[in-house]
Amino acid sequence: MKTEKSDKVVMAQVHAPNKKVGWGVYVISAFLILLYLLPIYVMLNQSFRYITDLTPRLYLPEKWTFDNYIQAFHDPNLLNGFKNSIVYVAEVCALEVFLGGLAAYGLARSGGKVSSALRTFNICVMMIPSLSLLVGTYSLMVKFHMINKIWALSLQTAAIGMAGTMFFYTSFIVSIPKDLDQAAAIDGAGILRTFFQIILPQLKPVTVTRLIMIAVGTWNNYAMPTYLLTNTNKATVILTVRKAFYTAYGSVQNVPLACAECAVALAPVILLYLLLQKYIIEGQLDSVSK
Amino acid sequence: MEKRRKWMLLSLCIPAFLLIFIFMIVPLGNAVKVSFFKWNGYSQKMRWVGLENYGSIFTDKVFLRSTANTFIYGFGSTLLQNIAGLSAALFVNRQFKGRNLVRLILYMPIMISGVIMGAIQYYIFNYDNGVLNNLLNLFGIGNIYWMESGIGSVLIITLINSWQAMGFCMLIYLAGLQNIPKMYEEAALLDGTSRRQIFFKIDLPLLMPAITTAVITNLIGGFKLYDIIVTLTNGGPNRKSLSLSYYISLLYFNDEKAGYSAAVGIALFIIIFIVAVPINQYLRSREVEY
Repeated sequence: MKTEKSDKVVMAQVHAPNKKVGWGVYVISAFLILLYLLPIYVMLNQSFRYITDLTPRLYLPEKWTFDNYIQAFHDPNLLNGFKNSIVYVAEVCALEVFLGGLAAYGLARSGGKVSSALRTFNICVMMIPSLSLLVGTYSLMVKFHMINKIWALSLQTAAIGMAGTMFFYTSFIVSIPKDLDQAAAIDGAGILRTFFQIILPQLKPVTVTRLIMIAVGTWNNYAMPTYLLTNTNKATVILTVRKAFYTAYGSVQNVPLACAECAVALAPVILLYLLLQKYIIEGQLDSVSK
Repeated sequence: MEKRRKWMLLSLCIPAFLLIFIFMIVPLGNAVKVSFFKWNGYSQKMRWVGLENYGSIFTDKVFLRSTANTFIYGFGSTLLQNIAGLSAALFVNRQFKGRNLVRLILYMPIMISGVIMGAIQYYIFNYDNGVLNNLLNLFGIGNIYWMESGIGSVLIITLINSWQAMGFCMLIYLAGLQNIPKMYEEAALLDGTSRRQIFFKIDLPLLMPAITTAVITNLIGGFKLYDIIVTLTNGGPNRKSLSLSYYISLLYFNDEKAGYSAAVGIALFIIIFIVAVPINQYLRSREVEY
């Protein structure tokens, strides 16, 4: 037999479904947090060790040292890597947001067969795995002397992400009322002016989210940069850190130093994540629910 | 006038599509061309072999193994990430102090490059003084060789990839859950429906659009997996944990088989296309209007 509940109780349940949370929730929370911070702990733990410290990695170092960080900060390659990564990220962000936003505006507003064909084409392009293009891209770039040029890699990276950015923007521009454009057109504004003065301000919040996603993806990009930037002078942060670990596998085995370089390389990303969490998490939530 | 405006709008797409054309379509065409030749990747000599490269795919044990691995990376990660992501979304959707902190920490690994993550995780799953073995030692269990066999390595890579990218699913499902109008739940509760039934009969069907997005993104991401493998196993032992993406780059730069590498690249593109399109179509057909 079904137990009858009074409506009041039920409504209270709906509006505050789990007001009374047991300690179980906190146990699970603590477990999840530990599980997700473990690699960071392992990395930091290693980075404060002497190279001779072979005590279990689970426990704190036998003797603490900052030498690895001092060495990492004095590594010219790491500093240079930061510079290269910043240039690379800035170029890709600018290209993708500007060209992608402009194109999405054209696609969303023109309508008709050409526009819908281009949108289908976009979805197909998004499915091309970038490694499928490795041979084709690399051999062409060698031919046209575009190896070890950050601008060339930026153009390539922006091209790979462009379809996704256009797709993202198109769905937002469609939701902006057309009346706004028409009002601007009646006032004599050209298409470009309409885009910059009417559409772009409306896209500001989603652009912040998109910019962060592009920046993170570009900063972390590995496969193409490793083949297109072979010169140490041109290496990005990720390539430099990866190299530090690579030597760690080989003869030198300086894991603590590699971990310190890794920590230095990760610090700005984690810091930005914590500072911009509102835009990253809320922005992602908003962009999904559109 | 309308027509002129339409074409002007479409012309805004030109720069973006030009970039896609130069850096994606041309290299793709070039890859198709190269795939019909025997070529070491740098010499002037290219020998036409017709479909031979495509033919040798079917007898290449490493290719078949890498393809199987790629399917495990794709489907395994998708399954794990969606189950974990949905559970995490249901968990942080509850009202409790610190839920935002849990959300923040669970999403954080997405900000970290796969190459760096693989390098750090190596010291967790390592045989000799790995953190996981350290933990087992606490309980009196001896060291386990986690990455001794190919299948062990493949499963650990799948696990780490799912662990790292799970936050994305979590946010998608969280947005989906928050978008479900409260009135459905209220009505069901008034009718005496259990929480379990509400989840399966109301929440899950209404989450279908979120499921489509999450599944397709995870599938394509898993099929393209590259970064983690580089530093975690380097494709080993004995090329048994390669993904197709990684195999493509090894064929080109280590084995100097550019033609064959291009053919494998085209095969990967075709595989992703054949897998993703029908699944996308199927999931879209299951979405309900509300």
